[in-house]
Amino acid sequence: MRIVIGEDEALLRQGLTHVLEHAGFTVVASAADAAEMVRHVAERRPDLVVTDIRMPPSRTDEGLRAALEIRREWPGTAVVVLSQYVQRRYAVELLSANSSGVGYLLKQRIADVATFCADLERVAAGGTVLDPEVVALMLARARRDGDALERLTDRQRQVLALMAEGRTNASIARQMSITDKAVVQHVSHIYDALGLPPSDDDHRRVLAVLRYLSRSAADASTRSSRAEKDKHPR
Amino acid sequence: MTLPASGRFPVSWSLHGALVLLGVAVAVLGGMEIVLLAASPFGPLWLLAEPVAAGGIYAAAGLVAWWRRPSNRMGALLVAGAVSWLVAGLVNTTSPVLSVPAVILSVVPAAVVVHLLLAFPSGRLRSRAARAATVAVYVVALLDGLPQHVFAAATGPDGVLAVTDRPDLAALSADATHAAASAVLAATAIILAGRLRRADRARRRVLLPLYGYGMLAVLLVALSAWLDPLLGAPTRFTVQVALLAGVPVAFVLVLLRGGFARTGEIAELGAWLSTAAVTRPGLADALARTLGDPSLQVVFWLPGRHGYVDAAGAPVALPAAGAGRAAAEITSAGRRVGAIVYDATLIDDAAPVRAAGQVLALAVEAERLTAQLRAGEAELRRSRARIVQASDRERRLVARNLHDGLQVRLVLLALDAQQLAKDPDATTAMSEAAEALRAGIDAAAAELRSFVHAVMPAGLIERGLAAAVEDLADRMPIRTRLDTDGLCGADRRLPAAVESTAYFVVAEGLANALKHARADELRVRLARTGGQLVIEVGDDGIGGACLDAGSDGGSGLRGLADRVEALGGRLRCDSRPGAGTTLGVELPCGS
Repeated sequence: MRIVIGEDEALLRQGLTHVLEHAGFTVVASAADAAEMVRHVAERRPDLVVTDIRMPPSRTDEGLRAALEIRREWPGTAVVVLSQYVQRRYAVELLSANSSGVGYLLKQRIADVATFCADLERVAAGGTVLDPEVVALMLARARRDGDALERLTDRQRQVLALMAEGRTNASIARQMSITDKAVVQHVSHIYDALGLPPSDDDHRRVLAVLRYLSRSAADASTRSSRAEKDKHPR
Repeated sequence: MTLPASGRFPVSWSLHGALVLLGVAVAVLGGMEIVLLAASPFGPLWLLAEPVAAGGIYAAAGLVAWWRRPSNRMGALLVAGAVSWLVAGLVNTTSPVLSVPAVILSVVPAAVVVHLLLAFPSGRLRSRAARAATVAVYVVALLDGLPQHVFAAATGPDGVLAVTDRPDLAALSADATHAAASAVLAATAIILAGRLRRADRARRRVLLPLYGYGMLAVLLVALSAWLDPLLGAPTRFTVQVALLAGVPVAFVLVLLRGGFARTGEIAELGAWLSTAAVTRPGLADALARTLGDPSLQVVFWLPGRHGYVDAAGAPVALPAAGAGRAAAEITSAGRRVGAIVYDATLIDDAAPVRAAGQVLALAVEAERLTAQLRAGEAELRRSRARIVQASDRERRLVARNLHDGLQVRLVLLALDAQQLAKDPDATTAMSEAAEALRAGIDAAAAELRSFVHAVMPAGLIERGLAAAVEDLADRMPIRTRLDTDGLCGADRRLPAAVESTAYFVVAEGLANALKHARADELRVRLARTGGQLVIEVGDDGIGGACLDAGSDGGSGLRGLADRVEALGGRLRCDSRPGAGTTLGVELPCGS
């Protein structure tokens, strides 16, 4: 697999290149700023881009904007965005444009090389990977604003989180040490409880879950207050 | 505070009484003159009484001007003109005692018009050229009639002065006075043209017709000899009198309506000083009214700074010499306390300005001390804002350095530990130790992450206020409604210090509500209205919070209030018991 790296810190750029080469990927180019990275992508057409969010010149969100541009211009190139800090807004933005083939991870995840490389493979294959931290944040927020999640068991919420991270049923089963069949059962219960449209497509499944989790607090509260009324009819 | 109407002051009452008496006196003299003229055989009464009527118009115009503009001398000058008309009118009386001096003074009314033109608008002759031209015009006027009457046949009312009938000498002297009159009128025209050139456009629009009309009226008197064959003497005379009688009306109209501000007595300033309250915002206004210059400005001397400041404490420089504006210094007990900056084209004599300044020296000294205080206050405010900005810059710098330095190092260290753990040559114990090391580094990285976030949140650096506050609301454990619709998009970022202050206000407000309010729901609203950033953090909790409460939350808010005030903003806390708490902040954020 051919990869372009965008990272302005030279040490990390080298470290990342080393890790990826060692794991059998081909790093075709690495760039220290977003414009250079986009140029490399235009020339080399890699399978995957791994980029930092903050890049020169302004060191704000150039990397993220370049990632969105790359997904728009070259749909064949998947993108994994790395950051020192994750927030819901960036996940929503990355998934709203063309959500297949995108990943959003904490930089610290690089250190778990095996998981990191597996995530890259999944994204390059058109999958979606979200950092557990940002999923946890979204789940907590959704649970706070609506009561549908309260109706799930702990185990079902755990499955929901893994679905949101972009895992397949097989991967969820492995992670939770349960059978594939048990996962399917949990998933269908979750779909019922949240009122999501059923889908066998892993990618669509991620989107539906994330869309549910990203509803604004206002939507969630009108739904929950309606639910409240249903519970206590006058 | 404005200057009270002039009528309220004793000094003006006595002036008004005198003016009424003067008016009565002129009216009585005019009446007596008409009685004398009625007996005159030299022409019909309406023709002979024309100078008396002109005198009446001069007197009325002069008295109005004098009444309305006590410190302006135009009124007095016009009244003097009225007297000159009454004297000139005596030419046609039958008594030589009256008609002889009248013959000598018969052209003086025209000279008065030149005097008026040169003395407008203050009534004072300020340049040497104007003074010389005025003296010359009176001399020419006095000499104008005299030789012709001396060297003439002793006939008619003018005949009383005839010494010898010498037409040749009469013609010679007539030529001489004509030449002198032409020279004086030319000089006057040059002086007036110079004034027009220096005046601004608005003033020129008023002065040009006034000067033109005055000069035309005088010129027609000078050209009497050429006009007689055209019009006939009685008509020529009537036209001249009518034109000259219109002059005072024109002057008074321009003086009162033409943008020449009212000028008051300097004594009125003293009255204002004694009656007005201790705090007088109207010092400059009072001076402006007294001196008749609406653009007048009072500035104050700060010895420590060796410079002038205005009433708000902002530094100002005095106008350079030769500019349209000039400055008169004010001293109190020998020390410089301030200066009056005025329009030099409007007031070309510094003496009354300086006199007015001295009357107000003590008030100026008091305002100077206020201005000094304000200047210090402004400096303090700027320095507080600089401290906030500096601390903000440092926070950003620390956050960036940690982000680019230590956080990267921890990723690389964790990577090394991981490689050590996966090393095929490593023993199981070593691998487990390396794995534990990596977990420890990851935990340290997570701790560092939240520390960096507390110093300066990533959202604020990367996307600005709305994104950072959204992330904050996302992480609240209870429902938090966010309204940032009134905030512009990411393309219009606010000043850095404003953004981070607003963010910390929201963060502190939400943290306090969580800790103390026992609320079910929190609200955050951010909006930009007219150069102000409006921040509202509210909850539906128990209320009863207070800015200066001894609780830890209160002290955090106190610090934020300082920060907000340092940036020129306001922080208020509305927290009635049982009605929830709303924290409201307004921060100036540029337009």
